[in-house]
Amino acid sequence: MSVRVHPELRNQLMQFGIGDWNACYHCGTCTAMCPLSEEGFLFPRKKIRLMQMGLKNEIESSVEPWLCYYCGDCTSTCPRDANPGELMMSLRRYLTSIYDWTGLSKKFYTSEVWEIGSILLIAVLVVIAFLIGLPAMGYSFTTELTSQGGVKINSFAPIHIIEAFDWAMAIVVGGLLISNILRMYYKIIWKHGHTKVTFWVHVREFWRLVFNFSVQPKFGKCDDKRYWFSHWFLMSGYTIMFIVVVVFLPWFQTEKILPPWHLQRALGYYATFGLLFGLLVAITGRMRRKDVKFYFSHVSDWLFLVMLTLTVITGILIHIFRIYGMPYATYIFYIIHMAVLVPMILIEVPFSKWSHLAYRPFAVYFQHLKTHAVPRKTKINSIN
Amino acid sequence: MEEPRIGVYVCWCGTNISKMVDVEAVTNEVKALPNVTIAKNYKYMCSDPGQDLIIKDIKLHNLNRVVVAACSPRIHELTFRTACEKAGINPYLFEMANVREQDSWVHTDRTEATNKAIDLVVAAIRRVRYHEPLQKRFVNVNPATLIIGGGISGLTAALEIANAGKQVYLVEKSDQLGGQVKKFDLTFPHLSSAQQMIRPIVQRVDNHPNISVFLETEIREVTGYIGNFKTAISVNGGDPVELEFGNIIAAVGLKPFNPEVISEYNYKEFPDVITSFEFEEKLLAGRILTVYGKEPRNVAIIHCVGSRNKKYHEYCSRVCCMAALKYVHQVRAALPSANIFEIYADMRAYGKGHEEFYALTTHRQIMFLMYDQQKKLPVINQADRSDNCNMIIEMDELLSGQSIEVPVDMVILMVNMEAQENVKQVVRAIGVSLCGNQFFIEKHPKLDPVATTTGGVYIIGTCQGPKDIPDSVAQARAAAARILGAIAQGSVPIEVTTASVNELLCCGCQTCIGVCPYKAISYDENNKVSIVNEILCKGCGTCGSACPAGAIISKHFTDLQILSEIEGVMSMS
Ligand SMILES: Cc1cc2nc3c(=O)[nH]c(=O)nc-3n(C[C@H](O)[C@H](O)[C@H](O)COP(=O)(O)OP(=O)(O)OC[C@H]3O[C@@H](n4cnc5c(N)ncnc54)[C@H](O)[C@@H]3O)c2cc1C
Ligand code: SF4
Ligand code: SF4
Ligand code: SF4
Ligand code: SF4
Ligand code: SF4
Repeated sequence: MSVRVHPELRNQLMQFGIGDWNACYHCGTCTAMCPLSEEGFLFPRKKIRLMQMGLKNEIESSVEPWLCYYCGDCTSTCPRDANPGELMMSLRRYLTSIYDWTGLSKKFYTSEVWEIGSILLIAVLVVIAFLIGLPAMGYSFTTELTSQGGVKINSFAPIHIIEAFDWAMAIVVGGLLISNILRMYYKIIWKHGHTKVTFWVHVREFWRLVFNFSVQPKFGKCDDKRYWFSHWFLMSGYTIMFIVVVVFLPWFQTEKILPPWHLQRALGYYATFGLLFGLLVAITGRMRRKDVKFYFSHVSDWLFLVMLTLTVITGILIHIFRIYGMPYATYIFYIIHMAVLVPMILIEVPFSKWSHLAYRPFAVYFQHLKTHAVPRKTKINSIN
Repeated sequence: MEEPRIGVYVCWCGTNISKMVDVEAVTNEVKALPNVTIAKNYKYMCSDPGQDLIIKDIKLHNLNRVVVAACSPRIHELTFRTACEKAGINPYLFEMANVREQDSWVHTDRTEATNKAIDLVVAAIRRVRYHEPLQKRFVNVNPATLIIGGGISGLTAALEIANAGKQVYLVEKSDQLGGQVKKFDLTFPHLSSAQQMIRPIVQRVDNHPNISVFLETEIREVTGYIGNFKTAISVNGGDPVELEFGNIIAAVGLKPFNPEVISEYNYKEFPDVITSFEFEEKLLAGRILTVYGKEPRNVAIIHCVGSRNKKYHEYCSRVCCMAALKYVHQVRAALPSANIFEIYADMRAYGKGHEEFYALTTHRQIMFLMYDQQKKLPVINQADRSDNCNMIIEMDELLSGQSIEVPVDMVILMVNMEAQENVKQVVRAIGVSLCGNQFFIEKHPKLDPVATTTGGVYIIGTCQGPKDIPDSVAQARAAAARILGAIAQGSVPIEVTTASVNELLCCGCQTCIGVCPYKAISYDENNKVSIVNEILCKGCGTCGSACPAGAIISKHFTDLQILSEIEGVMSMS
């Protein structure tokens, strides 16, 4: 069955990244160099070809872009400077926008005005909620300190309201992400007319999802072990923080100052260090531009780093000001913290860079589903 | 005949010969043979001291024959003949025995190789005894030149020769000068105007006092030989004009391949499937429109149409890849938002600036699609109404491994460059040969690409093989230089070792006339015998072996010489 080429698709794709992929003359060096490319799932050359030819369906049903962890080996060996590594990155951005049914992802990735504008809008809404919303609802904060000399933070940010908001946000973001993953599943596995995957295979391969999410073995295989470690540290810190803040907020945001070795504070410190370390590596890398993987920075790469850094620093400051009994400073930084955190989660997780957290492990899972796909029995087959 | 006094010289060729042949033994063996005055061996006979050895001996020992046992005569026969001449004896009183290519290099047993060397040297000694002095011959060169074909190569050669003050007769079949280039808009790789390039050249030729242009004229028959050719042409059906000239240049160019025979492309069926030549017409007219009068939104360019395919032509046309890229730039300039598809089999960008031109083109929003020339050609089909285009190309794309559909409104076929169909007439008239692809054959593919095996006849431009303008022009100037050189000399050397007919033996059967590849023999009706024109004769010897009466003597290859040589080979074993 022949497929239609779409010349205009390339121009669309160009908006998602940096680089000139026309330069590629298909020598295949990149695929030979790639430590993650494997039989049946060859990349990046083949993906460059699909891109050049505008084979939309073939690109959308690809798992390969998610199997690339951007070590940059391909880019540094390409004889034509075609920048295959950045191409894979751009394809990930494109795919994120394709999985997203709201169309917002595409807007965020291709328009800086949209992305930064939305972040600012949400930030302003958060500030308004704190300065006008809460007082209007009858909440008023106190500058009195607790018996331990700490700030009465729950008087400023009532725990049940913040918790309810957290849950609401988690449900919206989770719902969007799940629906996008289902669309990803549909495009990669379901839409394939000729093959199907049995239910049993779905169950049997499920462990891969969990394993890849928590250990990220592919990253370790592709890269310098230092990056695997810093990335893993960052990812685990982020996940812990996310779970603690959404699921266990009343346990986490206490007025009582617990001893430093208490699990509440220990987990918080671990997550903070993990995030800080990972961020430091990424930011210095992008600034030094020595490693190929950090050579090109899309707006979305920087935004993500800056916002996460701001969140972490304001979080640390809140913690310090609260313990040392500085109520105004605590409250001001609480507002700033939320004004950065909320847009970051609402925009980055379902629509932008953060979504890779979910797509990557799912892609490995889908890859193995694909490997075990069997030909679908069609009517024509049974007649013959 | 004076008593032969032969000097024999055995060369070591460093270790090339001496390693497998005992040169000392060979020298000693032949020393005592009758007529051998002196026999020596030396490390490098071809070196200056080696040649001096011969020259001194000739003078000192009053030698009148020389034999050198060394490499192939193709390499050094001329060297030793010249040495003989310097010492004052006729160069044809020399014979060479090849004991390297035919002996030391191909054998592994030293004793047997040495014996073989002795046989070969003895044969040369026996033969050289019967050598006769031959005199070098020259013919005068008529300073006028005939050029057939008024394309860029013919025009360039004409100007080059005419500017040197010599007469040129330029014969052009069509009604205008300029050839293919006259029909082009731009040229690759600089995208400069073809018209601005060719027009002044045509003008200069038209106005040149030393060039006579004959339009709508063809050459039917040429008689004569190098330096002295003749033809009669009739201009506009009028009385024949007789032309005389000393050299000929063939520059009859190429013609486009007719893609009708490739069913996949439906060339006649779909009016918007056009050849590169037809596309040039559109470009010259200034508008790229489909037959419906609309600007095409999708343009495909298919490479290698009729080229590099055993079914049509196996050779590569060399210019169509770059011409296709030229069209890419032109389509992009005229239709900024059109989709352009380059459907190619291999991208050949061998020339100066060509790879850069290719790299530049990749940035012009083109979709390059590769097909396998040997497996499956793209197929052009009618599109459905829902396809939103005029035609659909179906093809197996090689680099992605996908079968794809390409929407198109106009398809440009990069057709092969074929030889002219009337080329046989020209070939017969000027006495050159054609290769399997109907291109003119040059004298030597590397070392003599513009001359032919017929003296005074040169081939330039695309009639010799597909090439671009710079290569055509380079050949034109090269041929002009060769001809001007001959004119400056005033005469050219011709073959010495020709055939001649012994009229007493000839029975007039005319067998020889039929076999001579150079049309050198004619029949003398009065005396009822054949006669060889010794200017045309190349000394190939064919007639000599064909003559049933043994009436033909080939100089330097007489029966006596050959039989003595054979006796010599046999005598020692
Ligand atoms: C589609 C296409 C595009 C090209 N574009 C370029 C380009 O951009 N740049 C470039 O460098 N090269 C280009 N070329 C190559 C270029 O056309 C040739 O190199 C050039 O035309 C060769 O010139 P020529 O004089 O050998 O032959 P021609 O141009 O073919 O001229 C031959 C002349 O001889 C005449 N003739 C033929 N038979 C006889 C006869 N029997 N008696 C008398 N006259 C006769 C013909 O009428 C013609 O006038 C292109 C070729 C093609 C096919
Ligand atoms: S991206 Fe570079 S290395 Fe890879 S196939 Fe293309 S030219 Fe070769
Ligand atoms: S960046 Fe690394 S993992 Fe990604 S395609 Fe290139 S070589 Fe493979
Ligand atoms: S020059 Fe290019 S298009 Fe022409 S025959 Fe050769 S490979 Fe084919
Ligand atoms: S083949 Fe011999 S005999 Fe016959 S015509 Fe020629 S020269 Fe005379
Ligand atoms: S020797 Fe050859 S070229 Fe000369 S007349 Fe005989 S056949 Fe012709």
